[in-house]
Amino acid sequence: MSFLEITNLSIRFGGLVAVDDFNLSLEKGELVAIIGPNGAGKTTIFNMLTGIYKPTTGSIVLDGENMVGLKPYQFARKGITRTFQNIRLFSNATVADNVKIAHTMHNNQNLAKCMIRTPGMRKSEVELDRRVIELLDKLGLADKADFLAKNLPYGDQRRLEIARALMTEPKILLLDEPVAGMITTELEDMARLVPQIRRDFDVSIILIEHHMNFVMPIADRIKVLDFGKTISEGTPEYVQKDPKVIEAYLGGGYTQNGTA
Amino acid sequence: MSGKRIIKSIYPALILVVLYVVITTLRSVKVLNGYYIQVLMFASINIIMTSSLNLVNGFTGQFCIGHAGFMSLGAYGASVITSMVFKNAPAGATIPVYLLGLFIGGCVAAFFGLLIGIPSLKLKGDYLAIVTLAFGEIVRALLRLMKPIGGARGMIGIPMISNLGWIFLFLGIVLYALRNLIYSPFGRAFIAIRDNEIAADAMGINTTFYKITSFVIAAFIAGLAGGLYAHVVGFIQPDSFSFTKSSDFLVYLYAGGSGSLTGSIVGATLLTILPEILRFLSEWRLVIYAIILVVVMIYRSEGLVGGKELPFLRITRKDLYGGTLPQASSAGGKEET
Ligand SMILES: Nc1ncnc2c1ncn2[C@@H]1O[C@H](COP(=O)(O)OP(=O)(O)OP(=O)(O)O)[C@@H](O)[C@H]1O
Ligand SMILES: [Mg+2]
Repeated sequence: MSFLEITNLSIRFGGLVAVDDFNLSLEKGELVAIIGPNGAGKTTIFNMLTGIYKPTTGSIVLDGENMVGLKPYQFARKGITRTFQNIRLFSNATVADNVKIAHTMHNNQNLAKCMIRTPGMRKSEVELDRRVIELLDKLGLADKADFLAKNLPYGDQRRLEIARALMTEPKILLLDEPVAGMITTELEDMARLVPQIRRDFDVSIILIEHHMNFVMPIADRIKVLDFGKTISEGTPEYVQKDPKVIEAYLGGGYTQNGTA
Repeated sequence: MSGKRIIKSIYPALILVVLYVVITTLRSVKVLNGYYIQVLMFASINIIMTSSLNLVNGFTGQFCIGHAGFMSLGAYGASVITSMVFKNAPAGATIPVYLLGLFIGGCVAAFFGLLIGIPSLKLKGDYLAIVTLAFGEIVRALLRLMKPIGGARGMIGIPMISNLGWIFLFLGIVLYALRNLIYSPFGRAFIAIRDNEIAADAMGINTTFYKITSFVIAAFIAGLAGGLYAHVVGFIQPDSFSFTKSSDFLVYLYAGGSGSLTGSIVGATLLTILPEILRFLSEWRLVIYAIILVVVMIYRSEGLVGGKELPFLRITRKDLYGGTLPQASSAGGKEET
């Protein structure tokens, strides 16, 4: 059995089957991309993989443990964290605090220690700050640690979302369109960053992306979704040549090179 | 720890001590009369109330509108201890009994906070407003029915032990503890819930747990404030803690600026003192007071201090390292990759 085993995952909203019979076996350290036209059901899969939606049928098993029915925070605690397509930062908190917040579940300073601010508590705050700056440095955000998240440029906000997700110490990282709205140079940075994160943080990654150029060189495997159904899957080379994929993308108004 | 740092860590306490010495001196040379002192005590108690409400409404992003309910529970809890249970305690035990009363009052309020917080904080924000509003009124109605503690006529003869010294002491402790809490993993979790509950949840934060924690702490502090209050005035009745009272704290909070302890201090102090200053206007007093509020909220919708914080009421990253940030080991790490 694989590290993450998703079987026959389906969800229905009224009459609409948003995701229909989705299957994925993810190994440790693997990077799988999910692509597909708008409304294909990609984000809905992430919502099920993080407990925000409960699947109508199907199972999600992480490391032998059934995850369906857990609350979102429990998914994060078991090791699945995500970034959001429509950025969801803690906008009135600083960049550093945004990342520190993601460490809350590993906090071992109790309420009394925090209110008194014991020497031990102070020490743990300093250690946490060091770690956070180190992490921000890897994502090129260290010099903006004290900015309010809402004042960051768009590209930085996307990177901060990734930094924050990494601070939870995930086993599986879900990236929902990490380069959406980015300019070309930022996109190139991200294309280097994602494989580097996978290596440095020892995580498996599931990546949703429209940009074929971005996905092709970094993904081990690709799953193609259209109207909730998996229409193709395999290596980037294979998927790229699959007539069904070309049709779905052209039919959906896509060029092979990227967004509509 | 350097001398500078020690001074920095104690000077907020110093401010209170100096303030206390100045005020008591002015009092003893008869510049300030008892009335001024009482207004100052009420202002301080209102700061305690407002900053605890701030924890829930300003920092955790919930909407509690029945805070006077917790205050009354604390007031009654403390008064039952001091003027009923230990009524005949020897003179030497007055202070310990008083402190015990304040603590019990806080605990009673916290217990009820837990009782209504668990069901209502699991639901969406608006429910909390309705539940807390109803809660405040239920507490008042029930207290009116409780004959052994005075019923609607209230409790009289509560020892008037709370003086400016005690109140300043608790004000200092409460502000210090709240500041520490806000700049800790707990406070950051509260702020995360306020800013984006879905993201907080997705980052592994048990939002219900942290909302309840914030709520119960606020209830405890409000209970403490109630105990202090009862022992200033020596007389309490259920109707002293009506919704009007709750709405006063909401006004202090939002006029001062929610999400900032400084805002609570400024809001509660100015708006406790303002009606007293306006007394010469007699009937027009409340009209002018209301107009001033409207003007403030229109021109400063963020509140008077608008999210800013006095240096000793916040803890920056610099403060963690005692004043100077460590040099980043690889500044500009982005280029290296
Ligand atoms: N809570 C919901 N209630 C009803 N319908 C929903 C809900 N969430 C998603 N859907 C529908 O499910 C379908 C898939 O949406 P989803 O957001 O997963 O698409 P996507 O592949 O992420 O698209 P995009 O590329 O635009 O982000 C859409 O038709 C959407 O309207
Ligand atoms: Mg999407």
